[in-house]
Amino acid sequence: MTTPWNNILHTALLGTDKQSLRAEELGEDLSPMAEQIVTSDKEEKFLQIAALAFNYRQAGFIPQHKESAQLSKPTPEDKPYCSPQAMQVLADVLEEENTALLALWLQLCRNSGQLARPEILPALLQRCITHKHLREDILTCGGQRARWLATLNPDWSMLPGSEDSAEQQWQTGTPEQRRDVLQQLHKSDPARALEWLQATWAQEDVNSKTDLLRSLSASPGPIDLPFLEGLSVDKSKKIREEATLLLKRIPASNLIRKYSEALQQRLKLKKERSLLGMLSKTALEIVPPADGQELSPILVQSGIEKLSNKKEYSDEEFICYQLMSYIPLDFYTSLWQKTPEEVVKLFNDDPLGKKLIPALVLSTVHFAEPKHAVPLMQFSSTFYLDLLPLLQPQQQEFYSNKFFATSPDAIIQYSTRRETEWGLELTESILRHASKDPYRYSKIFFNKIIALIPVGATAVLDKIQPDTLPAGASGNWPSISDAIRTLLLLKTQTIQAFNK
Amino acid sequence: MSANFNEPLDLSEEQILTLAPDESSKKSGKDLANPSKWVSKAISARALWGECQGSGSKPYQTQVDLANLAFKCSCPSRKFPCKHGLGLLLLSARQPGLFQPSEEPLWVSDWLSKRVEKEERRAEKKESAKPVDEAAHAKRQQARQQKVSDGVAELLLWIKDMIRSGIHALPAKAPAWWENMARRMVDAQAPGLANMVRTLGNTNFYRTDWQSECTEQLLRIYLLISGYQYFDQQDPLLQADINSQLGFTINQEELKEAEGILDTWLVLGKQSSEDQGITTERYWLFGATTRRYALILQFIVRGQGAQLSLTPGLRIRAELVFFPSTAPLRALIKRQIQADTNSDGQGFSNWKEVADSTTATVSVLPFDGPRPYIVHRLTPVLHGQQWWLKDEEQTLMPIKENFRPIWKVLSLSGGEPLDMALIGKDRTFEPIGVWHDRQYKII
Repeated sequence: MTTPWNNILHTALLGTDKQSLRAEELGEDLSPMAEQIVTSDKEEKFLQIAALAFNYRQAGFIPQHKESAQLSKPTPEDKPYCSPQAMQVLADVLEEENTALLALWLQLCRNSGQLARPEILPALLQRCITHKHLREDILTCGGQRARWLATLNPDWSMLPGSEDSAEQQWQTGTPEQRRDVLQQLHKSDPARALEWLQATWAQEDVNSKTDLLRSLSASPGPIDLPFLEGLSVDKSKKIREEATLLLKRIPASNLIRKYSEALQQRLKLKKERSLLGMLSKTALEIVPPADGQELSPILVQSGIEKLSNKKEYSDEEFICYQLMSYIPLDFYTSLWQKTPEEVVKLFNDDPLGKKLIPALVLSTVHFAEPKHAVPLMQFSSTFYLDLLPLLQPQQQEFYSNKFFATSPDAIIQYSTRRETEWGLELTESILRHASKDPYRYSKIFFNKIIALIPVGATAVLDKIQPDTLPAGASGNWPSISDAIRTLLLLKTQTIQAFNK
Repeated sequence: MSANFNEPLDLSEEQILTLAPDESSKKSGKDLANPSKWVSKAISARALWGECQGSGSKPYQTQVDLANLAFKCSCPSRKFPCKHGLGLLLLSARQPGLFQPSEEPLWVSDWLSKRVEKEERRAEKKESAKPVDEAAHAKRQQARQQKVSDGVAELLLWIKDMIRSGIHALPAKAPAWWENMARRMVDAQAPGLANMVRTLGNTNFYRTDWQSECTEQLLRIYLLISGYQYFDQQDPLLQADINSQLGFTINQEELKEAEGILDTWLVLGKQSSEDQGITTERYWLFGATTRRYALILQFIVRGQGAQLSLTPGLRIRAELVFFPSTAPLRALIKRQIQADTNSDGQGFSNWKEVADSTTATVSVLPFDGPRPYIVHRLTPVLHGQQWWLKDEEQTLMPIKENFRPIWKVLSLSGGEPLDMALIGKDRTFEPIGVWHDRQYKII
């Protein structure tokens, strides 16, 4: 569009050597004044005319009248805003960039039925981009205004989390977004997730198919069986393998049934006489299958090795060990009509069973069966760390304290996965151990797990004095200890802010 | 809203942190806002004080003058305020109950008395100041004027060369090309012109409309040069503006001798920038009674303490002396009487009033810089892929391009109008604060 200012810019761009600015190009308001500028210096004339137009432009701006420029309004909130104290703590938590404390703040805010105040919402929504696990809580605590804001900023467009938005992401999103949305839906509505997956399955390439199958691994269930078992004849090896991994996670699958049948053929109970033939006891034995009954090709294809790669296991023992790793403990209780405790005792008291108990542990962890973790902990003579996460918090605390001295680092690793706070005794053990290894247990480590440390741990920190530390640790521990104190103070303030 | 200076200073944590000289001071100050770090702490009507156990054998004595928001600490830090001052003030904001009203210890009352004495001594010193050697001063001024004249002529020639060959070649110029001319202006003792040349060189040449931005800055320089060329024919106030833009300084102690304007000034915003080790802090103020806007500049050389402690939302009862100008904006604080945090602003009712005010300013000062405005009941709206602010008359003005805190403005607004403090430049506006739920919130 040709305007007086554009004419000036055009001349400025080309240069007065090539083009002169004429007074009439300034429009009817300015032309009469521009005509009075008379000089033989072309550049001077341009600068004077342009300066005149510049002043006119600056002084004469008129705001645009636009009644049609409107913005939607958010739905009014039906929950109260949190206190100024809670807001202040939230600002501090965001400033500390501490995700664990942010999660705690959001959880307490959500539980108290309150909302974060509007001024902090952009900072919270920004966190949604990188911290997917906080999205739901942020949207809950952000109320209607957060949802409204999310519709205005393209960076936050993934947030509303509505069915429409999820389906839209499934259809048009990036591979990562599609994987996430399928995983979420599979947890809440597996039938619908399968429906989506099957509808587009034929159009996906092998890599997408593998990725999407992987997204089901968080919650595989019997409902997935027809689809997954159909994939056992897929022409792609990658897809067959991925499907097999999932089938191994579903006790009702044909694969697990075949494993169970193969084990039933091999692992038997027998009666033995002991104490000079006065008493009898039940023992385990492995009976090789009759001639010609080799391990089925399906089992071999699913990953069961025929030959042992552990010298303490014979080939048959090794086959049993592998099969047992994928068979739930309920198999033995129903086959032998024994309680889980009796099954564990039976394995523990038998020389062959002792060798096979780790397979029972693997299967309990594999199927995440807390009810079987307890007898394995109680009646097995070995402490299996892998079972810790399956226990109730009190039991985890008990066993962590009991075995801390023997495996401190492993217990710390498992303790960091807990969802409930540590007890003070375990906290003290962990802090004392961490103080001696400040490179492994740095500020970053404590930043991540501060939600697990009880606020009373400040007193524990007071007990760990630098002079009781080894030479290498004494330099770093005080600053780590200070950082933990700061985080604990924030944690205390967060709890207090919602206790009022 | 009437001023009530008997209430305690009620600064928010955000306001306190705005006082921090840098990010590390903010962080350290927060760490020290912890009761366990303080051996003692108390408050009186005039001050807040505490003793903080630092790395030395004796605790550091930290004190805050609550009447005028001033800090003192016995720690060796050169930062101002130091982390202990910030930490103490933060702690009092977070947990006011921890500070028991007490009688001021000697080290606190001594400091407060000395501050009063210092003010008095400063006044006496002015009275007994040595007479200036007028002849030598005039000679120095004449020599400088000659240098500036030569510099201005050289700059005009440079601009004309640019106009002759066209500005299309400017995006390809190396930074050294611009810096070379800026240095020539520094040598000509016209640092203001040097800054204007640097601003021209800093034009965002990647923008599609860089030609407009660049031409406007070229014309600002040209207008200043033209004003200087006809200096003797100008109104004395415009002469002062021209001198100020060229970089001539005014003796601030002499300026303070002039009668000031006593008002309750609301600190609308603080903007900081750093260049070559010098931090420039711009405080935008608004007088509740006079409805005048003021700009207080503070220059802090790295490693030296600052004199002023103002934070957005703070209201100071103070006498301000404005620098002579056709459209006075820059000012000095002659004396500060009290501070509080009640805030209210009576500004422009709509954009038409802002446009009229801008027209009045530009008509007398065509090379003016950014100015603050308070405008009532503005609603952010999206129009043509750009954010605008709409007034009650349904007229719009654009928000500055790439204004990142737009989401905070939107969130506070929720689609409803807000009273806003803005900085306006080149017909675009940058919100720096809003009144939300009767509180002034920093953007």
